[in-house]
Amino acid sequence: MSSAQREGFTAPASISHAAHGHVVNKSLGVKYNCAQCAASFTLSKSDAIRCKECGHRVIYKARTRRMVQFEAR
Amino acid sequence: MASEEKDISMTEENGEQEMAQDQELELDTEKIKLLPGSSEDGTASSFQIIDEDHTLGNALRYIIMKNPEVEFCGYSIPHPSENKMNVRIQTYGNITAVEALHQGLDNLVELCGVIEDNFSEKIEAGGYSTEEP
Amino acid sequence: MDNNIVGVEYNRVTNTSSTDFPGYSSNADYSWNIEKFKDTFDINISHISERSANFDLVHVDTSIANAFRRIMIAEVPSVAAEQIYIFNNTSVIQDEVLAHRIGLVPLKVDPDLLSWVDPTVDEKDRFTDENTIVLSLDVSCSKNPHAPQGSTDPKELYRNSHVYAKDLKFEPQGRQVEIFKNNPVVPTDPNILLAKLRPGQEISLRAHCILGIGSDHAKFSPVATATYRLMPVIDITEPIKGEQAKKFQKCFPSGVIGINEEGEAFVKDPRKDTVSREVLRHEDLSNKVKLGRKRDHFIFNVESTSAMPPEEIFFKSVRILKNKAEYLRNCPINS
Repeated sequence: MSSAQREGFTAPASISHAAHGHVVNKSLGVKYNCAQCAASFTLSKSDAIRCKECGHRVIYKARTRRMVQFEAR
Repeated sequence: MASEEKDISMTEENGEQEMAQDQELELDTEKIKLLPGSSEDGTASSFQIIDEDHTLGNALRYIIMKNPEVEFCGYSIPHPSENKMNVRIQTYGNITAVEALHQGLDNLVELCGVIEDNFSEKIEAGGYSTEEP
Repeated sequence: MDNNIVGVEYNRVTNTSSTDFPGYSSNADYSWNIEKFKDTFDINISHISERSANFDLVHVDTSIANAFRRIMIAEVPSVAAEQIYIFNNTSVIQDEVLAHRIGLVPLKVDPDLLSWVDPTVDEKDRFTDENTIVLSLDVSCSKNPHAPQGSTDPKELYRNSHVYAKDLKFEPQGRQVEIFKNNPVVPTDPNILLAKLRPGQEISLRAHCILGIGSDHAKFSPVATATYRLMPVIDITEPIKGEQAKKFQKCFPSGVIGINEEGEAFVKDPRKDTVSREVLRHEDLSNKVKLGRKRDHFIFNVESTSAMPPEEIFFKSVRILKNKAEYLRNCPINS
């Protein structure tokens, strides 16, 4: 009953700066984090898949700042 | 809540009447109902109270059983996942079950009053430790 | 005099239910009498501190005492986080688990300063400065450049490696700036660990806290515990002397049994007893003592989460029971 609402994504209503997280800078590519040195950087389509700091080849996609609502239950 | 319009239009004469009406409107008409199985003269009845549990049920049962005009009083919660509480009252015949219920509720209110007064008296009097032993 | 002692025997309890009702006995009038109740009923306060209270309700029935206990746990309102809006959480703890943990943090808010959230109102207008408290949690972990050489302690190696309840910051909304000027909302226990972080990880969220009651969710309960026990009774039926008295004393918690100059055991403080029945296991002692509890003497112990003082919680419980009865009295009976 309430589970649909509980973990659903809801448009941010009262929190003003939450909406900004929604906009991803498409021109700059996608944000990634290095699995080795935790550096965060952006890669575009043609870039090699490696960390710009240490060259490590395992990288994670960064979490978006899109707001998620939860019930504290 | 009374609408603002109503409050403004209230005049001195009908003010009291309106107030009584307002209070009546605020009260939940679904809160308590009479269950089938009453005696014809109303000296034995069962009631169903919504949104109450053992907290009020057992206290009410106790205070109604304290009434010398009451022959029997018992309560039950027919199913734990339904928020309903049933009360059965049978009197010796001098008062009706509804009267017994109302007297019981009145007695419970005055009992709470005594406990409240006694406790605040004791708090004001002080003389107790304010540290955990 | 009525037999108001619940017997505690080796493997059974006796005389457990109250019989103080009219018609039970021909030589006593048990009908309800408020004046009589006023005279006999008594409250003795042992202690009331900031977080706990211990007091006795004497000459009151179980059904009444139990109602207060139940109300303190489940029906006295208090404030807790209900909605969590997570902007970012890159820690290893999952969003929903973190939200749940934040919900359980007891907050120091006077519940009387907030009004109830009306669930019938449209979700956009439901939360106002009158019924909602906003807390924010924004922490990110980084390496500590000044960490001592060779240290393995995360607290030295990193900054903000531990996220505590005290990191929840109150954000007064509208009129709350004035109302909460002198008592800002803080967690009652600042050192509750909410999450652990490593460099590069971040938590950013808002928590909306509202009024609620314990029967809806335990996080809304204003008490950590609210319990009662019956006053123990130790009745020494035959004198117990000398070595046997010392053995008898050892069967009870310290302070319960004293030994006088003649070397005879006497009951010093039954309140301290746990009624463990140890004494009944010894053949030479078991026939010289009767254990029991007073059926109408309740020793309450109330531990507050310290949003409000424990005596206020009891006060409110009495008022809530009173209001319940008053409300039901005025409700029309549907037939």
